[in-house]
Amino acid sequence: MNHSSSRELKRSQSDLGILMGKSARTAVLVIASLWVLAPLLLMVIASFKSVPEFFMNPFGLPEEWKFSNYSRAWTDANLSLTLPNTIIVTTIAVLISTILSSMIAYGLSRKKKKYAMGLYILFVSGLLVPVQAIILPLFVMLKAVGLFGTLLALIFPYIAMGLPLGVLVLTPIASALPRELVQAARMDGASEWQIYWRIVLPLMKPGLISVSILNGVWMWNEFFIPLILAFKPEVQTMPVGIVSFIGSYSTEWGLVFSSVIVSTLPVVIAYLFMTRQFQSGLTAGAVKG
Amino acid sequence: MSSPRAQSTLSSTYGHLWFVLPGFIFFLAVMLIPLILAVGISMTNWTGFGGELEFIGLANYAELLTYWPFYRAAMHNAIIFLAILVFQHTVGLYIAVLLNEKPRFMQFYRTVLFLPVIMSLVATGFIWTLMLSPNIGLINPLLKSLGLDFLAGQWLSDPKLALPVIIFVTAWNSMGWAIIIYLSGLQNVPEELKQAAAMDGANTRQIFWRVVFPQLSPAFTALTVLTFIGTFRTFDVVYVLTGPLGAPNFATDVMGTLIYRTAFGGSSFSSADIRFAFGLAMALLLMLIMAACCHLLIRLLRSREIEA
Repeated sequence: MNHSSSRELKRSQSDLGILMGKSARTAVLVIASLWVLAPLLLMVIASFKSVPEFFMNPFGLPEEWKFSNYSRAWTDANLSLTLPNTIIVTTIAVLISTILSSMIAYGLSRKKKKYAMGLYILFVSGLLVPVQAIILPLFVMLKAVGLFGTLLALIFPYIAMGLPLGVLVLTPIASALPRELVQAARMDGASEWQIYWRIVLPLMKPGLISVSILNGVWMWNEFFIPLILAFKPEVQTMPVGIVSFIGSYSTEWGLVFSSVIVSTLPVVIAYLFMTRQFQSGLTAGAVKG
Repeated sequence: MSSPRAQSTLSSTYGHLWFVLPGFIFFLAVMLIPLILAVGISMTNWTGFGGELEFIGLANYAELLTYWPFYRAAMHNAIIFLAILVFQHTVGLYIAVLLNEKPRFMQFYRTVLFLPVIMSLVATGFIWTLMLSPNIGLINPLLKSLGLDFLAGQWLSDPKLALPVIIFVTAWNSMGWAIIIYLSGLQNVPEELKQAAAMDGANTRQIFWRVVFPQLSPAFTALTVLTFIGTFRTFDVVYVLTGPLGAPNFATDVMGTLIYRTAFGGSSFSSADIRFAFGLAMALLLMLIMAACCHLLIRLLRSREIEA
């Protein structure tokens, strides 16, 4: 930053006011970025510290980099169970939920019948249903059908809870698809399923990516649902696994922060590779909602 | 001849519902049926254990009207909402305006400032535990080393500070929303409008408030509704930072933690205090109030949009 502002200094020495304004603006952006980044960097450092170092040397780099925090997080904090669980649950639920949303969107967009609007409103108002209200009836039902204690107890609810946003984002996209294409395919004797799979689905690709990101991020990060529906590490996802680990070893801070980093890193990496898609995808859902 | 045609009209009338059906089954099983069950159970005195239950009509809802913790928690949610709302529409909007001027490193700022949004609230809670905790917190030692001892506080256990801290952490996590939503709004403002205003002799400030800002009302609406839903559902941050009891002494108790404790029992709650049906009534009442508020908010803000 120093470098850039000194260059600007030479360029516009004549106009001190503009310069002050400009550096004040830069300062705001730098401070805001530091506010976001500093705690993250400190956490990365903290994840390599031994417990006594948290107290003796709060700011500095660790004297001894304890990579064992990570290997112990893998075993003691159960990441070896909860990381694969999180990957499996999120991947399956995102895939199925997105496909089902696109099917609903296609089904509702083809007909200008009253029931289509009614169903659309029904699905979308699912966004307002509080998880706290439905989770215990859900718990009882999952237990009754014998899914409780398996990963499906998270996957099924996630699939259904991803639908409202999926339908909300995809239905307008499906309605805007050119009708001629579908008509032409029908003339050629394609079945409805073939039309959907070969023509409609590829055309909705940007929307499908938005919906997958939108749902993938909350499913990966979800805390409350697994807090109730996943009671043991074998079926827990990472956020709730980490919190329940704290319960038993509340002073193992190095392990806590290394677990938090392992749970966050995959999403952060995906975000850094696809920043645009994440930003537009997440806001697409928000703005329409 | 007639048979295939009949079939094809049948399939063209109802054929597309086959595409809706699989999703609808999931939706029915996971959302609609449990919701109907929840409404039924909320009219009983079931504690969540054993088979004893009686139908008591709307008694749970009536009790809520005079249940003090309900108002206290709702009040905390409202405070968080208003504080975050002001933050989003001032700091968030200002940063979006700065980014819209395309400063150097814009892409970097944009990427960094949105980063907390994709992180879990659990991770956010732990990051700020590291900064604020009385044991391992970094803020207090930092203030001491700067000679600012008097600013150091018991951030999470002082009843006066705990709620502002929750607001601060929520702001950290959600600022990215405001920036990105406003930024995409700003980028949609037609250049010609601004140029025309400048030709008419408007200064920068006037151009922003008279020309650009009215164009941002859809962003304003979206962000306000999003903030409302987000802050009234807040749970994870409070759970991680101050626990399911909304410590200290319920100073950070919000609807999320209150419902959780009442229906499922928090850590230090004995099972005798768990009243599942009462908790459900609370969640459902909150849903109704939120739906009504959202509806009103959207109508109010949309009407403003049309006037603008």
